Amino acid sequence: MNIHTLLFVSVLIFSLTESSRGRNKDRLFTELQNSIEVTAKPVKDSGVLEGGKDMVTITWKLKSSTKVDMDAAFKTIQIKLCYAPISQVDRPWRKSDNKLSKDNSCPHEIVSKPYDMTPQSLDWTVERDIPTGTYFVRAYGIDGDGHEVAYGQSTDEGRTTNLFSVQASGHHVALDIASIFFSVFSVVSVFVVFVMEKRKAKFEQRR
Amino acid sequence: MEVEGKGGESGTTTTTTAPRRFALPVDAENKSTTFRLFSLAKPHMRAFHLSWFQFFCCFVSTFAAPPLLPVIRENLNLTATDIGNAGIASVSGSVFARIVMGTACDLFGPRLASAALTLSTAPAVYFTSGIKSPIGFIMVRFFAGFSLATFVSTQFWMSSMFSGPVVGSANGIAAGWGNLGGGATQLIMPIVFSLIRNMGATKFTAWRIAFFIPGLFQTLSAFAVLLFGQDLPDGDYWAMHKSGEKEKDDVGKVIHNGVRNYRGWITALAYGYCFGVELTIDNIIAEYFFDRFHLKLQTAGIIAASFGLANFFARPGGGIFSDLMARRFGMRGRLWAWWIVQTLGGVLCAFLGMISSLTWSIVVMLIFSVFVQAACGLTFGVVPFISRRSLGVISGMTGAGGNVGAVLTQLIFFKGSTYSRETGITLMGIMSIACTLPICLIYFPQWGGMFCGPSSKNVTEEDYYLSEWNSEEREKNLHLASQKFAETSVSERGRATTHPQT
Repeated sequence: MNIHTLLFVSVLIFSLTESSRGRNKDRLFTELQNSIEVTAKPVKDSGVLEGGKDMVTITWKLKSSTKVDMDAAFKTIQIKLCYAPISQVDRPWRKSDNKLSKDNSCPHEIVSKPYDMTPQSLDWTVERDIPTGTYFVRAYGIDGDGHEVAYGQSTDEGRTTNLFSVQASGHHVALDIASIFFSVFSVVSVFVVFVMEKRKAKFEQRR
Repeated sequence: MEVEGKGGESGTTTTTTAPRRFALPVDAENKSTTFRLFSLAKPHMRAFHLSWFQFFCCFVSTFAAPPLLPVIRENLNLTATDIGNAGIASVSGSVFARIVMGTACDLFGPRLASAALTLSTAPAVYFTSGIKSPIGFIMVRFFAGFSLATFVSTQFWMSSMFSGPVVGSANGIAAGWGNLGGGATQLIMPIVFSLIRNMGATKFTAWRIAFFIPGLFQTLSAFAVLLFGQDLPDGDYWAMHKSGEKEKDDVGKVIHNGVRNYRGWITALAYGYCFGVELTIDNIIAEYFFDRFHLKLQTAGIIAASFGLANFFARPGGGIFSDLMARRFGMRGRLWAWWIVQTLGGVLCAFLGMISSLTWSIVVMLIFSVFVQAACGLTFGVVPFISRRSLGVISGMTGAGGNVGAVLTQLIFFKGSTYSRETGITLMGIMSIACTLPICLIYFPQWGGMFCGPSSKNVTEEDYYLSEWNSEEREKNLHLASQKFAETSVSERGRATTHPQT
């Protein structure tokens, strides 16, 4: 094996390990640049949003204060629905974690689009399987390797302002009617059986 | 599978010489002396199958919510505290119900008492489909949980249908196969849920519809018991009671006699840390695997189910093991076996919480399930001998103690977010080991205890069981059943004393 091949192979191995190390490196939320401006406004003026019916207008664009070319790395923008702290209290399955791979606070993806330099807007209908809770919207800027490099959110750092609430239902009147029917049937049967047994006992006694 | 009772061989009981009314051989009280698992013969085996199936359905309903919690908690915005409270509620209702069920069986017979309870708790299961808040969730779980009192009616019914030497097996298998429901439901509910989703329902509607399945099964099983079952080999209770065929003891005296026997309190505590642990695990294990190992709902359900499904053989196995130990070592063998198996169960439980690998968690959980459920079977190998006059009270206390253990454990370790689930499991194992130690204190003067032999005063079985009756009652011949029992219980001395080498 000549020296050129050896050099080529070692460069190849080196670049592979470098990129795989980069891939394995856990992205931390605190490393991300807050360079995206996001707003999320429910179309309904006030009140709780209903899954399947109500809409939220979401806009996102690069912050004017960011340096030029900061967005060169962005290939995709991922918009996610995140739990506000009030919906995370006493619910360990929704815990936030600085390591993005372990973070459970933003489980729902609203949309994922290729990055466009112009300001974007979306009218999103709250899906019916969005859990009951209080939310804000966060956008992640993702580079060509699939890593988050920047973010933006529709609320402040403490995640207390500009929140909206969703009420999931799933409840139907038909289910209530069925429950009442079967319940009444069961309970009435108990009484009917007791009356029948009493009669049988009296009959046996007389025999 | 057929289990032969000694009664048929040694000739201490007689078989009816009149034309055989029963498919199985019976003793003088018409109780079956054999146990044929695959028979549906009226009335004995039919009673067995109706009884365990109804209890199974009640278990399925009581634990139908836990495997679907990852979905329900999102719909109702439940907190970890809400979930913990609901788990406590689900097992606390039947503490009281189990105690009352013994008396209810006495008054109305196990057939009516159990079917009435099952039918009255079915509405709680149906109404689960309409709940909208954490309070609603806690309430439906509370009321549905009352149905676990059918354990007492199962044991009562088996004791009425099966004769001494086989009643242990009948009771053990009936209880084990009923408890199976707690495991089966972890499989059934996620499958039913995904079937309904595939039919087009949304996530938050599908789980609601799913609850009709356990509800309907509960209702149907009660009807089967009413239509095809009977209380006693000779007929139904109420008819027989009214016609004066059954003698009655003073309820107050029976309760007092049971309550003042310290052994009943120890078995209640110990059962709280085998059966109570089983109930707690039924409530938390699916969510534990879902959250800690990030599994799919169905996968978490399958793993959780395997815990409860071990009941198919583990609990009956515990009962049979108890009987085997008794043959060689008598009551002392039963106590040692029980203490060792339950302590090992506690040790394995402590390990389970400390393991962070999925494969090893499953392996340890499976071994742990066998030990903890066998311990339940071993408990009821000892309980029938504690008192003859107050057998119902002692059984009821022990059964209720099981639920109290579940309530306490969930209250201390699984409410809210004080302890992580894995820490809770480890601490539960340690508490289990501690609460199993009192078994060392159980002492029968005629047989001994774990560390002491029988009393040097040569107390006999007759002395022990007849001491439950005063002289007036003996004059009225109320003690005759206890006398018979004392005679058969001599086998609890073990082989060394009953068959001395000559």
